[in-house]
This record gives sequence, C-alpha cells and structure tokens, in this order.
Amino acid sequence: MTTRTSIAVVALFLLPAGAGFAQNEVYLQVTTPGLQRVVIAAPAFAPRPGADPTALAAFNSTLTRDLEQTAVLALLPADRIALVEIDPKNANLTRQRWRAVGAQFLLEGTVAGAGSQFVCEARLWDLVSGEVAYSRRLQSPATLAPTVAHTLANELVNLFTGRPGPFLSRIAFVSDRSGAKEIWVMRWDGGEPQQLTSHRSIAVGPAWSPDGLYLAFTSFLAGRPALYLLKPTEGYMRPLSEGPGVNSSPSFSPDGRRVALAAGADGNTDIVVASLDGGGIERLSSGRSIETQPAWSPNGRQIAFTSNATGAPQIFVMDAEGTNVRRLTFEDRFADEAAWAPDGIRLAYTTLVEGRFQIAILDVRTGARTVVAGPGNNESPCWSPDGTMLAFASNRTGTKQIYVTDPTGVARAITDTGNNSQPVWVAQLPAR
Amino acid sequence: MAVAATLLFAAGCSKPKPVIAPEPVAAPAPTTAAPATTAPDAAGEVRSEPALIPAGTPESGVLAGELPADLAELNRAGYLKDAFFDTNKADLRDDTREALAANAAWLRAHPSVRVTIEGHCDERNTTEFNLALGWRRANAVRDYLASLGVDAARFATISYGEERPFAQCHDESCWSQNRRAHLVITAR
Repeated sequence: MTTRTSIAVVALFLLPAGAGFAQNEVYLQVTTPGLQRVVIAAPAFAPRPGADPTALAAFNSTLTRDLEQTAVLALLPADRIALVEIDPKNANLTRQRWRAVGAQFLLEGTVAGAGSQFVCEARLWDLVSGEVAYSRRLQSPATLAPTVAHTLANELVNLFTGRPGPFLSRIAFVSDRSGAKEIWVMRWDGGEPQQLTSHRSIAVGPAWSPDGLYLAFTSFLAGRPALYLLKPTEGYMRPLSEGPGVNSSPSFSPDGRRVALAAGADGNTDIVVASLDGGGIERLSSGRSIETQPAWSPNGRQIAFTSNATGAPQIFVMDAEGTNVRRLTFEDRFADEAAWAPDGIRLAYTTLVEGRFQIAILDVRTGARTVVAGPGNNESPCWSPDGTMLAFASNRTGTKQIYVTDPTGVARAITDTGNNSQPVWVAQLPAR
Repeated sequence: MAVAATLLFAAGCSKPKPVIAPEPVAAPAPTTAAPATTAPDAAGEVRSEPALIPAGTPESGVLAGELPADLAELNRAGYLKDAFFDTNKADLRDDTREALAANAAWLRAHPSVRVTIEGHCDERNTTEFNLALGWRRANAVRDYLASLGVDAARFATISYGEERPFAQCHDESCWSQNRRAHLVITAR
C-alpha cells in the first residue's frame, strides 16, 4: 500500500518512571508519516549457565523481530549498541552511555534453564529518570521460548500504548487453496496456516468472539447459507442461525454473548441479533432496503452496518437496541464492510475510488475521512488488536491475497497460496 | 414478499402482465442462455386472466411423462429461462419479465415441477453485500412467478452472491452474465 497517509500510533506521553502504568494517558491518532517513536536499546538477552542454546536463540530472534515491527518503538541499531561500553560497577555511567547513543529506554534481560524450566527475566530502564519502568519474569517449557518472547513484546507495547502488541495474535480468513472456500487461521505474520473447516462447500465471513474461543461464519454446508459457531480448539461446531435468508456477516458483541448478523426471509435482509445462550433472534432493522455487515462498536453501545436505503450501499450506525439510526458515510459512492478500531473512534471500511475498491478510515467524531489507496482492489479491512495495523484483502497481484500494513502504512502480503480474503484479527487464542 | 412485490410493480407496470403462453413451451432453449435482448413486448400478450390454465392442459402426470426423467438432463434441456439484472439492482427488467412469463406458463402447465431459484451477482460488491443482493433477486423472481399464478410453495430460493459466477472474466461481458436468477428444476 503506497502511503498517501499512514496509520500510526504516537505515544505522546513518555512514561514517568515509577508511576503506575495503568494511570498513564495514552493517545492514539491517525497521523501522517514522521511519527515519533520511542528509541529503545534491546541488546540480546544473555544466557545464564545451563541455558538451552536453541531456546535462547529462538527467544532472541523472535523478540528482535517483534520489536522491529511495533509502531511505537524504534530499535536502536546494532552498530550503536556496539558502541556502548558496559560498566558493571557503575550503572549510572552506563545509563549515560546508552543515552549518549540515542536510547531513551533500555531493555535488558537474561534467560536460564532448559526442558520444562525455561526462565526469562527482563527489565526495562527509563534512561531519563534512571528508574526501572518494568520488570518481568516469565517461565515456560523451552519449546515455547518464542511464545515467551511474543508475550514480553506484547507487554512492552502495552506499556507505551495501553494495548498489548499483536505478537500472539491470529488472523482467521477465507481461503480456496484446498479447492473450496474454507475458514483458515494463521499467525498475524502469515505463519502456521491451519485449515479449520473442511465443508467442501462455501464458507465465508468469519468473525471472532472477543476471547478467541469461537469463530462465527456462514457456510453452505447444508445446501443453503447458515451461520455456524465453531470452537477451533475443540473442533466443535453448531448452527446459530439457519432460517431462510443469507445468515451472513456475523459480529460478536464485546461481551461475547450475542452475535449481530444479516438475515431475513422473503428477500429482505436486515440486521438481527442472536443470543449464544439460545435466547432467540431479535430484529434490529426493518424496511425495504438491504441491511448487512453489522459491526459492534468496542464499547458495545452501537452497531455500524451497511444499508442501501439511500441508493448505493453506505455505512450507517445505530444504537445497539436498533434505535437512533444515522448515516456515517457521505463522501463515498459505495461504502461497506465497516470495522471499528479498538479505540471506538476510527472506522475502517471499503470504499470505491475510480472504479476500484480501496480502504478508507473515518473518524466518527469529526467525520474526517482518509483513503488509504493501493494498487488493485483492496477490501475487507480489519484492525490489529492494538489498533496500529490493518489487514485487508487485495487482488493487486492478480490473485486475492491478505496484506498487513506495517506501522508506517506499507503493506506486505502474508498469504501467497490460492485466493485468500476476509481477514479477521484476534488478540490471542485461548490456551489449550 | 409484500415488499419485493411492491417494488416490482412500482418499477414499470401498473399491474402484473398476465401471460398465457401457447401449449407447453415447445423447443428447449439453449442452456447457456445469454441475457435476453429481445425488445420488451407490449400489450399484445395479455390475453386472459393470469390464473387460468389453458383448456385441455393435461394433469401433471401426463405432461411430466414427456419430460426427461433425469433431472440433470431436464435442466440441460433449458425449459426455464434465467432472469438477468442490472448492476446493483433486483428490479425485474422488461426482458426479464418476458422470460419469466414464459417460465410461468410452462410451470403452470407442469404443476408437479419444483424449482430452486438461485440469486447470483457479479463480483463488483463485497462478498456479504452480494449475498444479500442475490437473496433479493431470487425472491423477486419467485414473487413475480407467483404473481403470474404459480404456487409460491413450489419454489425454494437461495443466494450464492458472487460465489458461483457463470462467466469468469472481469468486465461487463461477464458481469452481465453473472447478475442473474438461475432456475433449477429440483423435482418433476
């Protein structure tokens, strides 16, 4: 994606050392390039005697890769790290040396152990105040050293943004690589793709429950579209809405107890809400127009959706009870596939520019709209759980693939097999 | 159903055009039906009330006996024409109404035949919106056929959105083929 504008996070407040991080204000905003990132020195973690060398290497390479991909941190380059002479007897002097090469924070740590007792100890120094801003001890089996590194990187991002990083996150998506459209899941960077359905039919439109425990999606498994609820960890699946109609485009309420979807008999498709506890289906919209693609706002109070009530599809929002409907998009010839950022302020959606689908971002408070244009058609945006990155589908290479923006807005493909579409991002899968 | 029917009738004619085709439609149409391009016919076709079945129409069994026994073969024979749509629309065009009127006559003459109406869309919307649009198209066709005297209970409707395109290119020559309601005979 060329960077007409980029999506980035700026931590305007550096953290006063010693203060509780939970109280610190964090500001998130869409900004043009030139974002200020916190410069952090993160020399490789040192092994203690007996540390598993394979786990150590996996830990260090994973941590470095993760920290390089954050929107808020700028890693001090290795050649600058090499300039710093560590004086073990004079921590104050060493801190001054780190500051002299441009670091604002220093992450240092050790790893120890092997087998089931792999231990990582990390400490983050605020080099300005000279105080420890964060310290952490993590223990796991040595085989999970990369997960330990991801966890640490997530927590560091959380310190600066108030939201954990994406490093344990997963993206569910639709892929036809097996010959039919099925639901798949992969790591946020495209690793470990795993097929979740084998319906050999049509499966589209996945949505995560907030806890990552369930995926809802539409499948033609039974010959007609029905909404199913899948528990990926157990392979357990049940229908949630299978009446006449499309039963499509699910969105979980933030409390995970209800699913908004598009359904309705007799040709008219409306937004309805299904309870996971079997409480039945409630209709939120009505009328002659098509209403589809509900997106529950992060605070649970509103639902954005697509309607063609005014002609071409546009994005509207209503209160979660179905009242107070108002239109959100006015500058687009077409607007669909609304996706709330976790801040509840930015709404990404698919628009049409010069005959091609492009991603747009709307600030729902001000109405300011930004088009993030790229080659080909770009559609189905979703936010990373920390709100700093976008995933979307693009056919820019001729086949449809999933792309993820880096912190400066540059997109890179994370799939390359078959056609892949409709990415949806979840912070973390539940432990098995 | 009321909604779709209202839309249909608002879109061009004050009341449904009742059409009684000649005896059971004669020659099977080609299966890969191109969008009907014949000019919309005017009043000439309206000959009697819609619900009337031509005198002497045999009961289902007799006529059904003339149809191919195999459903796949029966569908290939192309007795029923598909309905084509304009971009982003589920309104019935005049040429579409004409094709559907012929379908209605044939279906009235073959009362045991049951049909699934599939709504299809071109690729120029999002996956989910197209599912809803295809659903509307399928039901618009069902409602129109019902208004022409075919029992609505003989139809099932389903939307495939953009998931099962008939033509695979990425321009209007294919898109116009893919914006359709496809009629599939499921029982004879």
